[in-house]
Amino acid sequence: MSDEYENKSSYQAQSSETISGTGSGVSPDMDYVRPAENPEQDLYHAHSFIEKWVFCQDAKVIGVQYFLTAVFTGVVGLILSWLMRLQLGFPGLAGFITAEHYYQFVTMHGMIMVVYFLTALFLGGFGNYLIPLMVGARDMVFPYVNMLSFWMFFVAVAVLMASFFVPGGPTGAGWTLYPPQTILEGTPGHGWGILLMLISLSLFVIGFTMGGLNYMITILQARTRGMTLMRMPLTVWGIFTATVLAMLAFPALLVSSIMMTLDKLLGTSFFMPTILKAGEVLEYGGGSPILFQHLFWFFGHPEVYIVALPAFGIVSDLISVHARKNIFGYRMMVWAIVGIGALSFFVWAHHMYVSGMNPWFGFFFASTTLIIAVPTAMKVYNWILTLWRGNIRINTVMLWCLGFIVTFVNGGITGIFLGNVSVDVPLSDTYFVVAHFHMVMGIAPLMVIMGAIYHWFPLVAGKMLDEKLGKWHFWTTFLGAYSIYFPMHYLGFIGVPRRYYEMYDSPYMTSGVGLNEFISTAAFIVGAAQLILVFNIVKTMKTGKKAEKNPWKANSLEWFTSTVPPEHGNFGERLPVVHRWPYDYNVPGAGEDYLPQTAAPSEVAHTEVEKT
Amino acid sequence: MSDPKIDGFELEKGFRGMAKDTGSDQTMFKGVHWGKAMMWIFLLSDTFVFSCFLIAYMKGRASTPVEWPNPSEVFALDAFGVPVPLLLIALMTFVLITSSGTMALAVKYGYERNRKMCGYLILATALGGLTFVGMQAYEWSKLIHEGVRPWENPFGAAQFGSFFFMITGFHGTHVSIGVIFLFIYCYKVFAGHYDEGKRGWFTKMKGDYVEVEILGLYWHFVDLVWVFIFAFFYLW
Amino acid sequence: MHAGIIFFLVILGSVLFHIFTPWYWTDIASNWQGMDDTITLTFWVGGGVFVAVCLFMVYCVFRYSYKEGRKAEYKPEDKKLEKILTWATTLGVAALLAPGLIIWNQYVNVPKNALEVDVMAWQWGWQYRLPGEDGKLGTTKVTNINDENPFGINVDDPFGRDDILVQSDYINLENNKPVKILLRSVDVLHNWYVPQFRSKMDAVPGIVTFYWFEPNKVGEYEVLCAEYCGVGHYAMRGGVEVQSTENYNKWLSEQETFQDLIAKQEKLEFENKKIVKNNNFILNKDIYKEE
Repeated sequence: MSDEYENKSSYQAQSSETISGTGSGVSPDMDYVRPAENPEQDLYHAHSFIEKWVFCQDAKVIGVQYFLTAVFTGVVGLILSWLMRLQLGFPGLAGFITAEHYYQFVTMHGMIMVVYFLTALFLGGFGNYLIPLMVGARDMVFPYVNMLSFWMFFVAVAVLMASFFVPGGPTGAGWTLYPPQTILEGTPGHGWGILLMLISLSLFVIGFTMGGLNYMITILQARTRGMTLMRMPLTVWGIFTATVLAMLAFPALLVSSIMMTLDKLLGTSFFMPTILKAGEVLEYGGGSPILFQHLFWFFGHPEVYIVALPAFGIVSDLISVHARKNIFGYRMMVWAIVGIGALSFFVWAHHMYVSGMNPWFGFFFASTTLIIAVPTAMKVYNWILTLWRGNIRINTVMLWCLGFIVTFVNGGITGIFLGNVSVDVPLSDTYFVVAHFHMVMGIAPLMVIMGAIYHWFPLVAGKMLDEKLGKWHFWTTFLGAYSIYFPMHYLGFIGVPRRYYEMYDSPYMTSGVGLNEFISTAAFIVGAAQLILVFNIVKTMKTGKKAEKNPWKANSLEWFTSTVPPEHGNFGERLPVVHRWPYDYNVPGAGEDYLPQTAAPSEVAHTEVEKT
Repeated sequence: MSDPKIDGFELEKGFRGMAKDTGSDQTMFKGVHWGKAMMWIFLLSDTFVFSCFLIAYMKGRASTPVEWPNPSEVFALDAFGVPVPLLLIALMTFVLITSSGTMALAVKYGYERNRKMCGYLILATALGGLTFVGMQAYEWSKLIHEGVRPWENPFGAAQFGSFFFMITGFHGTHVSIGVIFLFIYCYKVFAGHYDEGKRGWFTKMKGDYVEVEILGLYWHFVDLVWVFIFAFFYLW
Repeated sequence: MHAGIIFFLVILGSVLFHIFTPWYWTDIASNWQGMDDTITLTFWVGGGVFVAVCLFMVYCVFRYSYKEGRKAEYKPEDKKLEKILTWATTLGVAALLAPGLIIWNQYVNVPKNALEVDVMAWQWGWQYRLPGEDGKLGTTKVTNINDENPFGINVDDPFGRDDILVQSDYINLENNKPVKILLRSVDVLHNWYVPQFRSKMDAVPGIVTFYWFEPNKVGEYEVLCAEYCGVGHYAMRGGVEVQSTENYNKWLSEQETFQDLIAKQEKLEFENKKIVKNNNFILNKDIYKEE
């Protein structure tokens, strides 16, 4: 698969490669695809309401279950962020927000959004729904384990939410849960709160492992005939690589959770050095707080890409479909996804430049971190080069994609500040960091999620979402979110540290009061604007127009199911056979401006693509 | 599905052939059962879990300000009045490695559809695992009796007890889960579920002897991890 | 069409905001001008890329929005273009990384003549210790800390006897004299951070961490805790006053040494008076409430 695209006839091979069986020599039958390697999958159809909608083994239903549960946690996270912004913008206005509460909100908001909302939504939600459809499988390979995966996640969420109601409230240790402070007095929720958090995280890891095995094996071993790895949509590549990262990164989270639980419950001292509290020496001693930070960030940094890579993949597909043009540099995109994923395991300590670890690590981790900027930049170039000379539908989906590009480039570039070790020194632990990661892994993936909702809603629900409402939704969200986080960087420049309940009276910090009020107001508006989407969905389900099959004229397999919405088994009698990559838009000589992946070479023999 | 010959697919030699094979349509690992592939990937993930534990242990042991206890004294066992270092551990390791052997034979007889031999060998494996867990329980109670606790011990650094109980406990849990599944599979083999392709009670999926091999992979992995734990705790 | 205009205005607004922002750095008061310069450099390069990418996107929106019957170009890859872009990006990134690493090298190599300052942190406050005439700080141990020995200095250590103790969260520093901050914490993570000095490092219980800077502007500065340390985090403030050599020496001579403290306490004991001392480790009642 390496140099075939050098000359002019290069791209023509993209669609017809391996058609001739082994890929070498010309077969007499140009539509030839190798016979099936996997037998028909043994599907267990539901027999009752509970089997169909509750303990369901259909990946699509599980995907929707994941999606809704994740959105529920996301709403909780959103409300928490409102409360925080209320305190920061208008201190004292809501008297019930004490410092304890504020720190509990910060912690729960962070953990919910990163793990229970974004990770579960992208991998559990979109992953479950789209993987089998996009690779042409009838279902995930282990439907039963998949079902368990969701219910484990559900229990994890329940335990997490329960921590709001236990004595002492949820943990307020900051989402990074740094010991020793996390389990000591002086931190809110240092009793039940942190315990439930750690249990919930462990359950989440176990549940995710079950799901992740499914995603990986389905993608690796259950693709349909003709679906080579390099013909998979980038969405699948993104989710796949993110799953691999998760399978290798979550162990570190599990281990650190277990160790901290033991520190808390049994009084072991894994992370606990000798500590003097209120004049008393505690019974801990000899442990290393920095060890926890290493374990946490060995999970934490890949986690960033677990959220980002599916977003990269999905947005590539959306841009290509709505720009009516093939994704530019598909193979570069794939290698960039894989490369970013691999590199993400070697950069974790860039979160720890000022943590007190051996400062000589700084050189290594700064270099690896900035190397990641290269494949990431290549992806950005390829997105905009896909738009170039395309035929761009400026609809709601495309708007979300454009919004993604702006916010992602903005957040990516502030990442270069923070990754570059000595530049990080003045900026770390300030609002610059808060603004950076919200822009790059909060708003940017959210833009993709929204775009994906508008894009795939016709498939899932069979109805088209309202475009006008969608555009209002986009502009309020995008402009609002941008005006929250862009100015926030400048609070960091002033030197305002993060996780401050109140700014007090430092002269340079009081200059940020007006800015804080503005940011808070924007945050309220953006949060409320999400009701437009809710309204849009309700309205569409009631009176919306029915979606035709494949309304966007897309190429990938999820639009070629036997029914819309797809039934259990997805593709009816026969699985589709794939003859090309999913990006054949506006192929010279083809009648329509798109060629589905299932279009056989003989059907389109007149197009230039097939003249080998 | 366990037939490795794939129609219409010839492997090219060398790296290009490997790349082509890997990226080819339908399956990446040609002829590999889904469940087997799943178990391999799960084990990879589990390897990371144990690696994190062991790396944390190394870091903890290297940086504790108090002296680490001498393992050959702590783990010694009195045999006929003479303290023999590592006696119990040697026995435990022997039992576990032997059970790996019986498991491998069980897989072989399973594929030969020799129900009886397969079943008895799985039973033997399960009993070996049970013996191992029993000896571990004995060792734990001995250490606890001597005053070793997760938070302190009379021999030196408190982290010794913490890491020992945590890591061997985590491994012991793995063994115990394996033993439970071994008993279930033993029943399923004797009851002939794999010969008839009977649907599972929970999973509603048809069974096959390949499941014995999948469980075998897990069992060998647990043994392998024990070798590392053995080396890091008892020999270091 | 209006979409392109709004996106353009967003880009323009960002640039204008950056130019006219009233919220920017506090005036620097240390030798770390290089950090500011690297930030400025990164702003130029990164900001340039941001504007270029977004403007190109806006151009595409204007130029190539949907027209019935228009054919989009069919061109899956362009090896040459991709190569150029990769190398250009790599060069740009290397150009940003190099100054960053050079300054980090200065940051981790402390000058020999730096004055060592022991910064001790707890929930939620600071206190400081300076070496006495021997120029060396005595060794310490958390378990030694008590009312008589607030810094936990090892009594047997001869270097510790003449250490100067500043039992206040305010400290004075000499202008134009490099300072090596030695951080230690008796309970949880903290971070001694003065925005005007640009530098920071966590204080980690169990180990001693360090960083250095050279104050170069006389004045008073606020010390913030920059690592979350529990409910009192936001109120954990302190202060630094950078003074001329003359004033600094005067201040220094007024401070108490460990020897003085021991002598004072022995005298007190001799007089059989009960020592009522301000215990630093009683939690601030305003901040901390018992659950």
